[in-house]
Amino acid sequence: MFPAAFDYLPAHSVDEALAALLKHGADARILAGGQSLIPAMRFRLARPTVLVDINPIAGLAYLREENGALLMGAGARDFAVEVAPFIKERYHLIFDAAAVVADPIVRQSGTIVGSLCHNDPAGDWGVVALAARAEVVVRGNAGTRVVPIDDFLIDSFTTAVGEGEMALEARFPTPNERTSGSYQKIERKVGDFATAAAGVQLTLSADGTIAAAGVAIGAAGPTAKRVVEAEKILLGARPSIAVLRAAAAEAKEISDPIADTRGDIEFKREMAGVLVYRGLLATLKRLQQGELH
Amino acid sequence: MTLIGTSVARPDARDKVTGAARYPADLVRPGMAHAKAIFAHRTHARIVRIDSTRARALPGVLAVLTAADVPYNRYGLISSDQEVLCSERVRYVGDRVALVVATNADVAAAGAALVEIEYEDLPAVTDPLAALLPGAPLVHPDLATNLLLHQPIRKGDVERGFAEADVILEGTFTTSWQEHAYLQPDAAVAYYEGDTLVVETAGQWLHEDRRQLAAIVGVSEDALIVRYAKIGGAFGGREDLSVQTLAALATWKLKRPTVLVWNREEAIVGHHKRHPFHITTRWGAKRDGTIIAVETRSVADGGAYASTSIEVLKCAAIFAHGPYRVPNVATDAYVTYTNNVPSGAFRGFGTPQAHWAAESMITRIANALEIDPIDIRRKNLYREGDTEATRSVLPPGVSALPVLERCAAEARARFEPRPPADSSSTKRRGLGIASGIKNVGYSFGYPDQSTATVELIGSARIERAVVRIGVADVGQGVSLILRQIVAEKLELPLRSVAIVHEDSAQAPNGGSASASRLTFMAGRAVHAAAAAAQANFNARTGTSATVQFRPKPTTAIDRITGEGDPNYCYGYVAQAVEVEVDITTGLTQVLRIISVHDVGRAINRQQVEGQIEGCLAQAVGYALTENFVSREGAILTPHFSTYLLPTTLDMPTEIYPIIMELADPQGPYGARGMSEMPLVPFAPAVAAAIYDATGAWVNDLPMTPERILDAIDAARERLTTAAAAAVP
Ligand SMILES: Cc1cc2nc3c(=O)[nH]c(=O)nc-3n(C[C@H](O)[C@H](O)[C@H](O)COP(=O)(O)OP(=O)(O)OC[C@H]3O[C@@H](n4cnc5c(N)ncnc54)[C@H](O)[C@@H]3O)c2cc1C
Repeated sequence: MFPAAFDYLPAHSVDEALAALLKHGADARILAGGQSLIPAMRFRLARPTVLVDINPIAGLAYLREENGALLMGAGARDFAVEVAPFIKERYHLIFDAAAVVADPIVRQSGTIVGSLCHNDPAGDWGVVALAARAEVVVRGNAGTRVVPIDDFLIDSFTTAVGEGEMALEARFPTPNERTSGSYQKIERKVGDFATAAAGVQLTLSADGTIAAAGVAIGAAGPTAKRVVEAEKILLGARPSIAVLRAAAAEAKEISDPIADTRGDIEFKREMAGVLVYRGLLATLKRLQQGELH
Repeated sequence: MTLIGTSVARPDARDKVTGAARYPADLVRPGMAHAKAIFAHRTHARIVRIDSTRARALPGVLAVLTAADVPYNRYGLISSDQEVLCSERVRYVGDRVALVVATNADVAAAGAALVEIEYEDLPAVTDPLAALLPGAPLVHPDLATNLLLHQPIRKGDVERGFAEADVILEGTFTTSWQEHAYLQPDAAVAYYEGDTLVVETAGQWLHEDRRQLAAIVGVSEDALIVRYAKIGGAFGGREDLSVQTLAALATWKLKRPTVLVWNREEAIVGHHKRHPFHITTRWGAKRDGTIIAVETRSVADGGAYASTSIEVLKCAAIFAHGPYRVPNVATDAYVTYTNNVPSGAFRGFGTPQAHWAAESMITRIANALEIDPIDIRRKNLYREGDTEATRSVLPPGVSALPVLERCAAEARARFEPRPPADSSSTKRRGLGIASGIKNVGYSFGYPDQSTATVELIGSARIERAVVRIGVADVGQGVSLILRQIVAEKLELPLRSVAIVHEDSAQAPNGGSASASRLTFMAGRAVHAAAAAAQANFNARTGTSATVQFRPKPTTAIDRITGEGDPNYCYGYVAQAVEVEVDITTGLTQVLRIISVHDVGRAINRQQVEGQIEGCLAQAVGYALTENFVSREGAILTPHFSTYLLPTTLDMPTEIYPIIMELADPQGPYGARGMSEMPLVPFAPAVAAAIYDATGAWVNDLPMTPERILDAIDAARERLTTAAAAAVP
């Protein structure tokens, strides 16, 4: 189907984009990579009358480290993340995810910030952001706010970005040497949305116990979910098979997926547990932990 | 021979890649009226009232057509049981009830939303097994039964066979619908050229489309032309008419050029699918692996209309025991009407479903007897001179065994021995093999034919030729194949042979692009016409020869015993696959495929390889990912975001198309059809590989991760129970 008619406004600066959003209010939408918005418009699930294209804004596609965080500008594409050597080296969780979001063609256009703003229940970046404890920088007429990801992801297709606002940047704390992570996803075919997904990030202390833990699951409810109980179990614990299993069981416990052609509820809940377990195992392996018992 | 066997490049490739090629939806011209079909979206209902007053009042709406506007409201490929626009009753969600014609597409859609239709829902039957029970709601009450066909086949004495068997195994198998998913959704334009009604569209058989369309609008076949634009795939999905009937109707009624283009959802809801089957089968074998009895009961869901159901069912019935010589056979195959989407032709035409059961069973028998799955096939495969279950001798050129041997040799050479399973990994690898057989050309007494004209032009000698034959180039490249054959025969360079094949008024009836038949049938027709023209070449007057080719005649099969001589040619295939199964998630990846085909003669090698690789993608989908879901008649997977087609990235990087050339005695230069064959045994080859990897058999297609996990759990439970029972 073709989308309903709309006006197209290319913005050449953030201020210009914000002015356009302010002027058109709820009828306006930002166009980033268009990989979620355009399909939604074609199915007429979204009918914005004005598209404010932020692609012409220069200098928005950055990926850089600053003040102990990786900053991803609103124009940064999945593909750029996938090929950046420093991400591969240090941001293991992000690197894993970048290779399995959609397919290579979609990753050429789709943006990380756009994906967070879209907040699809089966989207990958929300899971990563939760596990990595990311923040999103939101700017509006009233000024700029930095919103922790837990407060940013509100409900399916709903975020903390208010009318007349735009997300400028996503910030991921830079992992230290004793931090690693893993992203695990089950898809029915390459390029598909997750049937189930899990993101995990762990920091070990010098004595080998877990000093920080981030665990999140996707396609398991209206939005990506932090598995709080799993994090509690992991925090301060010495890694063992039993600890990993207990953490994974919590993921299964809170997983609340919908049944669809990709899988039934029982299968998807089971997989939430399996993927958290696998994510933890892979992370510890990357941290060069020996055989677990 | 120079041209036969060479990989001449496809002349249409560049235009298709650059977008210059014109498919039916590209033929829309300014000023054409746009039509929008109104679908029932009801499983089974009586039409109480249609009120189009408000729609007709909308500026730009030219007409709202209903059943009353259709001169002859019946059509169908075999039996005319389908209405162009439903008059009293709708039988499935995709039935068309009214057609809004307007000055542009937006107005047509707006008009469609204004047509008020009142329905009274009727009890529906959506389970083919329930459809056969007494008291089931009738889909076509005038027929007094939902049974479309019961085809029994009896050979030998199965009871005696089972009594002599050392091992007897039984299995129950199911398959689901498959969507053709051709890239180009259905579209047609219709207009008048003088007094002649022209319908430009995509289809599979010009002259058959013309027959049905002319009948609908009540004109003689001479007064209607069907032209095919470029066709974006068909796979059997364009054998039944869809949008053509409506575009022709609107143009005939309004005397205005009209276009009708379906979107993907309309195409998926609006056209037929591959038949779902429910198969119960019992196999008996001697200790040495000789299969001596096979008894099968299969029930196919034909959906709301007959389409090609009865032929599909007969094909499934004659291959209920696969490509094997079995002395005692009892088969009962049923196809029923239901209120589901109609089932019809789809690449393989009933044989993939039959092989799903048969090829799984023979491997299980081999396992039970601890015989190698290759050896058991070697022992039982059809040989030259063998009789089929229909008690006829197989058409000459039986190559099942050499094809299997080649497949076994390729598998030995290409599949390295598996590394021992790493116990910490959840991935398991396995190998599977399967054989297959499928008819080439039309069966069961249908008077198959293909007619071609070859015109020769030249002064002292033949300089150019024009081939006329009405055949659909659905993307398989038949127009190039036919030119290669004629150029070879006349010893002309390829560029000096032109072909006119896409216009029913400009070319004789070459027959349908289905049943893997065109290279074989049309190839023989153009070859014979070229020879006849060549023999009479006269430079002064020019020469033209028209020849109708008919293959060895076949006969109908008996309604009670199945006795008969159903086919004139078979294709043979064997496949070996390697899979990797994740035993905790059920996710399964096909890693390598060897697909061996006896094609008689590869007229164009690259095209044969293209058919094998493309068909394998469809086979991977059928086996693993394409899960067409219909609940109570409602289609829950009408988009490619829910109906999951494999893409390039889901295909293994190692695909070995192996082409054997054991000449068919009838085919042109020995060629026989092949384009359906890769789908025939593929799913059971994958199932066998999954079994090899996990010890679990999956009985239901597609093999989704859940089903694979369930099968693994069930196999584990059986092992535990067996172990418990073994404890004294
Ligand atoms: C075939 C296909 C497969 C896909 N598979 C996956 C998958 O497996 N996993 C996955 O996570 N995603 C998947 N996607 C979605 C894809 O990753 C999208 O690119 C992503 O979700 C949105 O990013 P975008 O830049 O394209 O945003 P757009 O589509 O441009 O925008 C999405 C929404 O966010 C809003 N928005 C965008 N940027 C901003 C901003 N800076 N501030 C405020 N609002 C903003 C838009 O207004 C819109 O409402 C798939 C998409 C396709 C087409």
